[in-house]
Amino acid sequence: MRFLIVDDSSTMRRIIINTLAKLGYESFLEAGNGREGLERFGGGGIDLVITDWNMPEMSGIDFVRNLRSTPQGKSVPVLMVTTNAANADVAEALKAGVNNYVVKPFTADTLKDKISAVVAHA
Amino acid sequence: MRDVAERVMAPLTGSLVDVLVGATTDVFEKMVFRQLQPRNTVWGHAVRPKSQIVGTVGFAGSSSGLVAFHASMAAAQEITSAMLGADGDADSLPDAIGEVTNMVAGAFRTRMAAFQDAWAISVPTVTIGSDFYIKPISTGDRVLVTFAMDAHELFVELIITPHTGATV
Repeated sequence: MRFLIVDDSSTMRRIIINTLAKLGYESFLEAGNGREGLERFGGGGIDLVITDWNMPEMSGIDFVRNLRSTPQGKSVPVLMVTTNAANADVAEALKAGVNNYVVKPFTADTLKDKISAVVAHA
Repeated sequence: MRDVAERVMAPLTGSLVDVLVGATTDVFEKMVFRQLQPRNTVWGHAVRPKSQIVGTVGFAGSSSGLVAFHASMAAAQEITSAMLGADGDADSLPDAIGEVTNMVAGAFRTRMAAFQDAWAISVPTVTIGSDFYIKPISTGDRVLVTFAMDAHELFVELIITPHTGATV
């Protein structure tokens, strides 16, 4: 399984990749904003997307909307990892096409559980 | 709980500080694996923390302002190592402090969203140096909270300007 991790923070990308590695996954692509994320995803072979919301150039929510408008991105599972956790934020993310949601700050167990839940439906 | 919302529209009070302290300690417990001890809380613009790295995140909406996180380089290195383990080298330090600031501001925003419309927040900015301070051009209220992280002293600063006519 190949993951695309989209986050402007290299720290957060590393934390997510380390968590995935502990779960036994080995194949990752990284992007620093939504625009880069679309380019990486366009290269093909992505099974699951993990994205932040607040990013420069293109936000995570716009990235997901763009992703869902493409034939390849219509059904790929998307997990959003973000500090945006108000009720209105969650509703907006789900409407845009996000499948599951992790709120920062999170424990390692929470991230593992959410990733496992999204992978199970992939 | 409503009490907190009403106080957002007034000069800063202890309730709002409690929300900020809760957001900060939660971030450090879950992501930095450190217990923070809140120490002093200082209102007003007079006190300037001595720090060598500062992360800032702005917010706007029914109120506007910023959240700033101040640390020494030694504390920042310890935070980075705690978050990233063996990957936590000097190059990753500014990004790690930016992400800590982002999470503190985001957690504070989320908690405040229970009382009013959620603010829009900016991506973090990180400044490294030793002879500077933040001077807001707005007439907002300011509070500086000091925390102890083991032997290190950390500071979280909130500057907030309630907008006239804002609704809760």
